[in-house]
Amino acid sequence: MKRGGLQGYIIKRLIYAALITFGVVTITFILLRVGPSSPADKYLANMSARTQDPAQVIAAVEARYGLDKPIYEQYVDYVVNLARGDWGWSFSTSLPVIKLIQRHWVYSFQLILLSMLFSASLGILIGVYSAIKQYTRTDYLATLFSFIGISIPNFWLGIMLILVFSVQLGWFKTYYDTGLPLFSLANLKALILPVITLGTGMMAGYTRYARSATLDNLRKDFVRTARAKGLPERVVIGKHVFRNAILPIITIIMFDLSGVVFGGAYLTEIIFGIPGLGRISFNAIFAGDYPVVVTITLIGALVVLFTNLATDIVYTWLDPRIRYD
Amino acid sequence: MIRQISSKVGGLKNLIFIGALLVLAIVLLLDIYLVDQILEPLEYFYLFFAIIAIFYGIYPLYANRRLTKYYWERIKRHRLSVFGLAFIVFLIAVALIGPLLTQDPTKVNFQEKSLPPVGFTIQQSVYDLKAEEFVTRETPGTWQHPLGTDDKGRDMLAMLVSGARVSLQVGLLATLIAILIGTIMGVVSAYFGGWVDMALMRFTDVMMTFPFFLLLVFIIFIFGPSLVFIILAIGLTGWTGTARLVRSDALSLRTREFIMASKSLGASDTRIVFRHLIPNVISSVIVIATLSIPGVILAEAALSFIGLGDPTVTSWGVVLNAGQRSLDTAWWVAVEPGIMLFLTVLAFNFLGDGIRDAFDPRSQL
Repeated sequence: MKRGGLQGYIIKRLIYAALITFGVVTITFILLRVGPSSPADKYLANMSARTQDPAQVIAAVEARYGLDKPIYEQYVDYVVNLARGDWGWSFSTSLPVIKLIQRHWVYSFQLILLSMLFSASLGILIGVYSAIKQYTRTDYLATLFSFIGISIPNFWLGIMLILVFSVQLGWFKTYYDTGLPLFSLANLKALILPVITLGTGMMAGYTRYARSATLDNLRKDFVRTARAKGLPERVVIGKHVFRNAILPIITIIMFDLSGVVFGGAYLTEIIFGIPGLGRISFNAIFAGDYPVVVTITLIGALVVLFTNLATDIVYTWLDPRIRYD
Repeated sequence: MIRQISSKVGGLKNLIFIGALLVLAIVLLLDIYLVDQILEPLEYFYLFFAIIAIFYGIYPLYANRRLTKYYWERIKRHRLSVFGLAFIVFLIAVALIGPLLTQDPTKVNFQEKSLPPVGFTIQQSVYDLKAEEFVTRETPGTWQHPLGTDDKGRDMLAMLVSGARVSLQVGLLATLIAILIGTIMGVVSAYFGGWVDMALMRFTDVMMTFPFFLLLVFIIFIFGPSLVFIILAIGLTGWTGTARLVRSDALSLRTREFIMASKSLGASDTRIVFRHLIPNVISSVIVIATLSIPGVILAEAALSFIGLGDPTVTSWGVVLNAGQRSLDTAWWVAVEPGIMLFLTVLAFNFLGDGIRDAFDPRSQL
């Protein structure tokens, strides 16, 4: 395939991503304006305690945030401010939202990254192994385990882990210690339970996908050929089967971000008290601090969008069989 | 397959179906504009659900008993799915009858707080009124509260029964809304193609870009947490997967001969969509519906666990939340609702797998 094809494809995908971003921003704006409470109400609850006249407060807040302008001007302001990186002021923490995000994103990032590494490596390993040993006791055990892993509610798993390992055995703290330096063994230890909490369900899913993808490839003609050539089983599995099975699994792992990972991370952070974006959004909800909630929802959507975009492009580049159209 | 079952439903039944929906709509309009509260919002959902279920589920199954028997035989061969179905039937029975037999799940009684389930005994520090001091006492579980009580003395059994009701309500109703929207979006998009397809699918893409739980939390934050709103929010955000699946199914159907034939016989677009396309995609819709119920139940449990659920209902998530607060004094409060949640999700997953295999003509059963 020519290089121009790939470049054209990337440009097309980027334009598409911009359109989707626009759509995502528009939907949040519509939801905010359709909602029964105006953002001013949320401020009012926090400010009227200090002033006398609620009507005055509302007028001041609306003027300050441009809520008295016509709706299309508000929309333009909303989009322009987001694009400029002006994501509003978080009154519950007295910080610009962007500062708040900068301070806390790394906690979510480390949790999600470690969980994905943990679940993907173990899940693929177990899946491939159980496919090779199809219909043995190991295989049944792995299948049963993956069924349980998929069905177990991850927030409950987290609580059970705390109950057993923190409360009963006392091996871990019941809460994540925020004072630890990021790259330290102590921090890694503090993340063990959260990573298992978030990773188990994902791992079970990947086990299933890896098993079925491997089984699909094991039946292919080129595998029979490879075996007939007298290649050692190690090479047949490692080179012929595994390489073909891994690509679709990676796509699934990336697409999982939107459904499983973010929701799971949100809850895991709340259970263990990890001060990541989920926890920040959770606190902001109960403080009525709407710029924070909006921004974190948007960040979630954008991360999903760009990982999908990156996956698509890398996938096309890795797999020469895909055509760009 | 299901297509053959559904296509037996014709003429008169169509009228009855549309009539029933119209009556419901008129009652709803009356309710909104003229009289206040003929029915509760949730009851509208139930009636709507019942009409759809009778028309697209029970009647076709009854009208074609031979095929029904055939599918039942196939599902039965998947033994785990029969267990799943049995558990779901049990849960529905518990949700319907249970509240009549158990105590009030909201009744707080600090005299009986943190009682263990029957068969367990814990050391509890109690204030002795006569001695006027705290004494440590052995507290055994009693049959008064077979599953124990939480830190406010509420009966665990009653709370679990109430939670089963909430979970099933949300699970079934929200899934129904989601698959209805998804099916219509998918079929319309595939059938009309062109810019309609383009617009609907781009909208689907945008909705899919939002992480499901984040969007849910955002909507509940804006609109406030009532059970009806939670059901609506899950239904209105969870349809994207169904839309994609139905679209791809319907795209392959669109070019098939029987659609061509009815088109050339002068069938209208609505007729083709409702009489030919929708009945044909129903088997994959049923599978995706069964498999998405667990996700919906978990979403509701998660919402109420973090305190964004309806504050007036006792759902499993609420109990779990109370459980996390009292992990060191009353482990059962966190363990019991979790086990129920786990079994329910497992049951729906098993059943969904069984139905998928039964509907797949290629699977060897």
